[in-house]
Amino acid sequence: MTAIVVDGLRKTFGKIAALDGVTFSVEEREIFGLIGPNGAGKTTTLRILSTLLKPTEGSVSIFGHDVVKEDSEVRKFISYLPEDAGAYKNLKGTEYLRFMAEFFASGRDRESMVKRAAELTGLGERLNDKVSTYSKGMMRKLLVARALMMRPRLAVLDEPTSGLDVINAKEVRDTIKRFAKEGTAVLLSSHNMLEVDFLCDRIALIDRGRIVETGEPEELKKKYGAKNIEDVFIEVVS
Amino acid sequence: MSHLTNLLRKEVKELMTGQMIASMLLMIFMFAILGNVIGNVQSEAMKQEVRISLLDLDMSAESKKLTELLNSQQNVALTTLGTESTEDALKIADNHSSSALLVIPSGFGEKIDNKEGADVDVYGIVRGLGIMDTTNSAKTQVAVSVINELIAQEYVREAYPGTEPSNILNPVRPKSFIVLRGVVSEGSPEMITSLLMGQSVLVPVILMIAIMFAGQMVITSMGMEKENKTLETLLTLPVSRSTIILGKIGGATIVAFIMSIIYLLGFGYYMRSITPNSSISMPSLSMGVLGYALLGVSLFLAILVALSLSMLLGVYSQDTKSAQTMIMPVTLLVMIPFFLLMFSDYTTMPTALRALLFAIPFSHPMIASRALLFGDYAVVIAGIVYMALFAVILWLITIRVFRSDRIITAKITFRRKR
Repeated sequence: MTAIVVDGLRKTFGKIAALDGVTFSVEEREIFGLIGPNGAGKTTTLRILSTLLKPTEGSVSIFGHDVVKEDSEVRKFISYLPEDAGAYKNLKGTEYLRFMAEFFASGRDRESMVKRAAELTGLGERLNDKVSTYSKGMMRKLLVARALMMRPRLAVLDEPTSGLDVINAKEVRDTIKRFAKEGTAVLLSSHNMLEVDFLCDRIALIDRGRIVETGEPEELKKKYGAKNIEDVFIEVVS
Repeated sequence: MSHLTNLLRKEVKELMTGQMIASMLLMIFMFAILGNVIGNVQSEAMKQEVRISLLDLDMSAESKKLTELLNSQQNVALTTLGTESTEDALKIADNHSSSALLVIPSGFGEKIDNKEGADVDVYGIVRGLGIMDTTNSAKTQVAVSVINELIAQEYVREAYPGTEPSNILNPVRPKSFIVLRGVVSEGSPEMITSLLMGQSVLVPVILMIAIMFAGQMVITSMGMEKENKTLETLLTLPVSRSTIILGKIGGATIVAFIMSIIYLLGFGYYMRSITPNSSISMPSLSMGVLGYALLGVSLFLAILVALSLSMLLGVYSQDTKSAQTMIMPVTLLVMIPFFLLMFSDYTTMPTALRALLFAIPFSHPMIASRALLFGDYAVVIAGIVYMALFAVILWLITIRVFRSDRIITAKITFRRKR
């Protein structure tokens, strides 16, 4: 089943058009990357898919459910990780994970979800400390674990490795790949072209609110005679 | 655990920080210390003797009698000065730490004998503006007025031997009764004013404390969500927006309730420590069970309106700092009826002012606290209906805002005109 179908999506804020006819689709178990310069419309797209913003025109359906008309249904099987997200500072790491898990499961299922998240964070005993004491990297690992712990059918990840060092970023990328293999569709945005090349099955280049190119990383590299996605990106956007 | 309970627990944990608990404990400590200190100073001041110096320039039998009468009074330590000039006497009195100097001028005894009325000069020596200093001044005045009464009684005894002097001095003793709603009770109109003053201050104070704490909590909760960048994640969880709003309002109410109770207990203890024990009871001016129930409903609805309004304002906050200033409109809407109703009564106000007060939802518990004493239920019920409608409309607007883009994009910016 197709995970995401975006068709002619437009979003305006006053006179400014943040999105101007975006169209793409993502399949189940696929990792789809949305890349583009700052202000291209990546975050707006992800926010619409996550039911945070309403489209001005066009349609978005997730596993056959319209994000506007069936927003509460969509929220049951998506998980959104915003780029600059934080966690509740006065809660301990485990308390935060349990608070989030409670919305998806109860009893043993919830506890196994928290256990899975605890393993994903790799924070060990530090999970018993308050979130306010965490470093930026620890916070990001906690949030990535939170986003994936319920094994969502669709994970919408905005800059998932933002603020992580090389080793931790690699761990997160491996986790995302593993979850995709196990059945989660992933839509991510990233500035890191290496990350996109490594992770994504397909990518869409977005510029000034429009998708300007879509395809598999290898296919695009061939098409533009580029060594890597960075060169493709520069070639297409310029 | 339901989603609402989960959200409530999170809200309480987030709002009840160690810092807040410490500040609450400090507040109770401060009230207890202040109450004890001020209460002790006042009672000590009342117990202590007042030092009075006396300069007798008359040296008549009457002036000596006055000196004896002063000496015989409790809490008066009298020093008779031997000098002949008032200036010197003032210096000596000051050196003796006296609170006052009484000067009996020459010719005093003669005027008293001729029943002409004689002057006594009272020089109050003020060393400071503290409670002790003002209490001493008051005690000197009392001592002098007691002498007046004692001399008058002497006159009466001389003129009407065997008669109780007070029957001549105060031949008519009015006994005041008030008829209110057909019920007769012993008391004076001043007692009603005093009772109403208590009501008109107490209810607004309770309301202000509750509204300010609750409103602050809700707005802070929204400010924290925005500052910590947790709002977006929260809004993508499988939980309805109305449950999120209810969780926030409920959590803030719990924390505000605990804080208000602690604050009021501390404030009550402080007030009891500094004010003498006096209670006014007016059977015909009591609310009854229905009255208290209606006042409770009115207070509850006013707090609900404040919470909904604060929630709506909180949407526009960017962080906890900006959230602190967002409570201003709510505070202002409580202050306007508070001051208007302190100086005039709702029923006697011009129509325009009454309309303005009626339109402000927070006026109604204040209006109700007085109206219910007089059995005027119509204005109270009208206020309750109005506040309920106001709360429902605010609630619907808040849910609408939470379901719209505004919850993510809203912010208030103050741009300078170039």
